[in-house]
Amino acid sequence: MRRKYALGGAFLYVLSTVFIIYASLQNFKELPWNALFWIVALFIAVNAIAKSFAVEQDGTQLFLYQIASGIEVIVAKMTYNVILVLTLFTLSLLAFLLFLGIPIIHHGVFALTIILGSLGLGIVLTFISAIANKTDSSAVFTAILGFPVLLPILLSLIKLTAACFAVETPDVSKDIVILLSIDGILVGLILILFPMIWKD
Amino acid sequence: MKKNWWKYLAVILLLYCIIAGLWRPLNPGVLQVSPLAMKAGNTQTFTVSTYNTDFDANSGLTAYIKINDTFGIQNTSLDIIAGNELKVTFDVPQKLPHVLKTTGYSMILDAKNYGAFARPNAVTITQETVDIAGAIAAWPQNNFGKFNKGDRAQFPFRSILYESIRNLFYHVPMWFGMTFLLMGSLIFAVRYLIQNKAAYDLYSMALVKVAVLYGVLGCATGSIWARGTWGTWWTFQEVKLTVSAVALLLYFAYFLLRSAIDDEANRARISAIYNIIGFVATIFLLFVLPRMVEGSLHPGNGGNPGFGGEDLDNTLRTVFYPAVIGWTLLGFWLAQLTYRTEIIEHYFLEKYD
Repeated sequence: MRRKYALGGAFLYVLSTVFIIYASLQNFKELPWNALFWIVALFIAVNAIAKSFAVEQDGTQLFLYQIASGIEVIVAKMTYNVILVLTLFTLSLLAFLLFLGIPIIHHGVFALTIILGSLGLGIVLTFISAIANKTDSSAVFTAILGFPVLLPILLSLIKLTAACFAVETPDVSKDIVILLSIDGILVGLILILFPMIWKD
Repeated sequence: MKKNWWKYLAVILLLYCIIAGLWRPLNPGVLQVSPLAMKAGNTQTFTVSTYNTDFDANSGLTAYIKINDTFGIQNTSLDIIAGNELKVTFDVPQKLPHVLKTTGYSMILDAKNYGAFARPNAVTITQETVDIAGAIAAWPQNNFGKFNKGDRAQFPFRSILYESIRNLFYHVPMWFGMTFLLMGSLIFAVRYLIQNKAAYDLYSMALVKVAVLYGVLGCATGSIWARGTWGTWWTFQEVKLTVSAVALLLYFAYFLLRSAIDDEANRARISAIYNIIGFVATIFLLFVLPRMVEGSLHPGNGGNPGFGGEDLDNTLRTVFYPAVIGWTLLGFWLAQLTYRTEIIEHYFLEKYD
């Protein structure tokens, strides 16, 4: 509730981005749609999460430190950020629908892709922003440190999305297993590692 | 001497890799056959140019066009123009024991001391009608299948690769070495988080430094190889190039992160944590994603990266495995030296700062 403007700001960000895409490319096919959607998605996710540790004032941080353990804090932050990213993805899909249309054939697979995508991006970016918060310029470092770690997730997401355009029923079980295993391994590591960041 | 045995081993193995890798010649091979196509039932003279051969009248040369494993056409006449150029004439029967009307057949050259060597799809032969039974009944007796055995162990001749096959001993061990160095770095990062000893952090960073150097060298050697074989220095069409570039980017970010945190204990802890997360991402980048993508240009790819079969034969193995071990040991040696210079820098910084 402390950041009512955050969601609205992110939505305006999406709208203006999509409007620029619409203005420059009036009609286009599936391939650029896939690329543009995930670029927009990546940037709103980074923008929304980059500040998730920085906005806390020192008092809040101390208060949190006293009442909660590291694991509780990171789980709470990750849950919040995953839901935030999922909301933002839904909003940006809405904006895409308004301006550009959505050339998806397999809606179920695409919905799953979006959910897995927000899960992966939310989890990784939360942790990376915790690391980046230790530097002076946390927003920049979230992007620099986050992109290489996110790339395996993003490539799988783009592949899944591309499968949603195809006429024949896609076989996506392999990609979903990969995505889930990346997410699972990272969540396990983060739960072990975050308390060490939280300590000081 | 006892403590540093692995450094001596690295030097010996790398010397062996450089000397044996460069000195051992390639097998003879067929570079070019012209003309490329003919009709069945005709007599045709081909000009054949070969590589790494020195034919003379005593070579006992025979040439064949291979139809399948049991049937082959033997040459009718053969003139040696130079040590590496021949004129071979074949009398191709009207009917061939092959189901396809038009297809490419291999040409096999067989010499006493060189053994048999071939060029796949060297000649395209067109038949008027397909009649396998008739072709087998009328097939002339010849020596096809009774090939000489070569008397030397040499590196395989592969078209497109040619002499650049030796890059196998430099390009591939770089990536092996990088992976082992990153594993070492991961172990030191974990040990730092458990025991909080500053030395472990420095070791971890030194290992990443050398690993990144190996990665850059791997890209450079691969780029040179790609220029000769694929015709380009770099292509994003090839998934392995993309993922290795991103993995390097990740470790560049690691150094940037280190430089952005001033407090030493804090820097060590945060960078160790990023190292662990980064290693997981690197494993996915280098070993999982390339297996997911079809149509890679790297050998053995498109489902299963790695090598085996024709790409890595036993003569290559005798140099390749020592090269992998040698380059990896050299990497750890370099990391140790980096660590020591780092320690000296710290000492002087504290003393004179």
